[in-house]
Amino acid sequence: MIGSIALLNLSWQQRRKLTGLLFVTPTVAFVTVFFIIPLLMTAYMSLHDWPLFGERAFTGLENYQELSKDRQYLKSLDFTFRYTALVTPPIFILGFILASLVRHNIRYIGIFRTIFFLPVVIGLGVSSLLWVWMVDDRIGIFNKILLDLNLVPKAQLFLGRPNTAMNVIILSVVWKTVGFTMILLLAGLQAIPDELYESAEVDGAGYFRKLFYITLPLMRRTIALALVLSVIGSVLSFDQFYIMTRGGPRNSTISIVFWIFNNSFTYFKMGYGAAMSIVLLGILVALTGLQLYVLREKE
Amino acid sequence: MNSRKPLLLVLAFVLVIGSLPLAAQDDQINMTMWVRSIPFQTQAMVDEWNANNDSQIELTVIPSAEFVTKMGAAIAAGEPPDIASIDLIYTPAFSAAGQLVDITEFVRELPYADSLTPAHMELGMYEGRNYAVPTGVDGSFIVYNIDLFEQAGLDPDNPPSTWDEMLDAMRAINALGDEIYRYWFSMNCAGCNAFTFLPFIWASGGDVLSDDYAEATITSDPIVRDALAFYNTIWEEGLVPEGASIDNGANFVNAFAAGNIGMAGMGNFAIPLFTNDHPDLNFGVFHIPGKEGGAASFGGGDVIAIASGSEHVEEAWRFIEWTMSDEAQIEIYAANGQIPVRLELVDNPYFEGDDRQMTAASALAVGFTPYTVVYNDLFNDPNGPWLEMLQIAILDGDIDGALELGQERFTQIMEG
Repeated sequence: MIGSIALLNLSWQQRRKLTGLLFVTPTVAFVTVFFIIPLLMTAYMSLHDWPLFGERAFTGLENYQELSKDRQYLKSLDFTFRYTALVTPPIFILGFILASLVRHNIRYIGIFRTIFFLPVVIGLGVSSLLWVWMVDDRIGIFNKILLDLNLVPKAQLFLGRPNTAMNVIILSVVWKTVGFTMILLLAGLQAIPDELYESAEVDGAGYFRKLFYITLPLMRRTIALALVLSVIGSVLSFDQFYIMTRGGPRNSTISIVFWIFNNSFTYFKMGYGAAMSIVLLGILVALTGLQLYVLREKE
Repeated sequence: MNSRKPLLLVLAFVLVIGSLPLAAQDDQINMTMWVRSIPFQTQAMVDEWNANNDSQIELTVIPSAEFVTKMGAAIAAGEPPDIASIDLIYTPAFSAAGQLVDITEFVRELPYADSLTPAHMELGMYEGRNYAVPTGVDGSFIVYNIDLFEQAGLDPDNPPSTWDEMLDAMRAINALGDEIYRYWFSMNCAGCNAFTFLPFIWASGGDVLSDDYAEATITSDPIVRDALAFYNTIWEEGLVPEGASIDNGANFVNAFAAGNIGMAGMGNFAIPLFTNDHPDLNFGVFHIPGKEGGAASFGGGDVIAIASGSEHVEEAWRFIEWTMSDEAQIEIYAANGQIPVRLELVDNPYFEGDDRQMTAASALAVGFTPYTVVYNDLFNDPNGPWLEMLQIAILDGDIDGALELGQERFTQIMEG
């Protein structure tokens, strides 16, 4: 009651400000509780020797200095970036092709959009398990097809060799995530007015001229969004490696998040894991900034 | 106003009566217990206890892979369970961190303390004090398919007792056909191979760690190289199904149960599984042999401890002591095919005439478990040095490279 009386005494501008503040409060609270506070806690932990149980000790920047000597950390960083470089182009290119195919609202197109998008709605963990079964040497459909077509002399252990394991993981991730990129790019494609294409056609422009002079330039922001999300997802990838290869064979598929997980929850070096997380955050911010800079709208 | 009086009286009566059971419940001791998801008889133990005692135990089963993390998080949050059944290899780490109650005085009172499985008792100690006692014991040995042995012309009553005899037996079974396999190892499972491969080294008088657990002896102990070469021969000669190279332990038990595997490393947890679920499987067990003879076993399983901070230490110990009683060990453990934690109780009516259980139990007498707070990092971690060394040596055949790598990574972890 008193509050509402006080509100009535405010000027229109003050009330407007207050209303705006109230609108953003839930978001600010959410971000504070679920991002800023955990981030500060992680930064604080990274300055300590922080076992899961037992005494904690302040060690300053020791954890960060340790990183340069951790061979597996550097190997995991290298692997993660190689994986990101390999998986991003097929996701983007295939996503773009699929978006182009389902762009126009013709009859039954919804069925195709749904089919392409369907793998996105299942969890990455579930899809990884599914692929483990599909490439299994005894009961997997892939080996069955290859053997029936006489393409291989015996069942292949796809996840048993570093190269084939990596290829299977890339294939599974492309299958799982391409639908999401397709939807993002589809939104961008549909936002381009048809009149632009019509006038280009009148001027005699072919498919590629329209693609490079109309579609891609006008989709710059959408492409930036799709690439940023895809790259962030790849750099932070964990589930597929944890489930499909457990980092093997011979520790050849340990991503950086996998290594952070191992240090934090297998070796219980929580402080060291936190330090790696902070460095990874810095790398991601830099990488995202670079992508947005390259793909920025030029005046 | 007067009309409300009877109503208030009724309400007061209801409140008093309603609070009586609560008051009674307050006197009752309620304890919590955590156990990892393994097929020991913990649930049966707790059910029996709850049915016959005023104090009650609420049992929570936690996936094995998550147990230590959850336990650590609960301790950090100040809410650990009263009682915990812990994989024995983690006990030194928990004891060293002061997270378990010192039960030395209780253990001293046990008349049968000397007959409790030695590996579990040793792992339950820290700086000369007892922090845990055995609750689920599990020794490793080799299971063999008697039918396949007979078909291959081998004498099932005289199973192999050296590495060469094992190889000869595998080669003989090899002649039975393409769908019959001679041996099984889960070569993408770190823990499985600590359990079943390390004893080959120990039985030959070797080890990968020095006696004081201060350093790795991978490159300095020639037995380690010999053992890796032995397994490499098994792999190179195609005596193991190719799929074994990527098995993460999912088929550790099932592979042998299928009936077309000649021999496999196993633990006694599998005996009741095989006898109950695969009654047609005709199998025997023998000790894991050394290069020229001898025997060794990995003492695995769980120990039971009281977590620091428990408000019911006395009652928790009363439960633990009861789990080791004749009644519980024979009527719950042995009756369900589980080996008693007191070795003198192996001679019981349920095991009578079952050579497999007797051999499995005698494996525990030679059971050994490395005592190190970094056991998990060294041996159990799927990305740790143990599995990587085995894979490079056995599957890739690069024994020298594997030994160098193993020595380097072991040393790095042990030096912290």
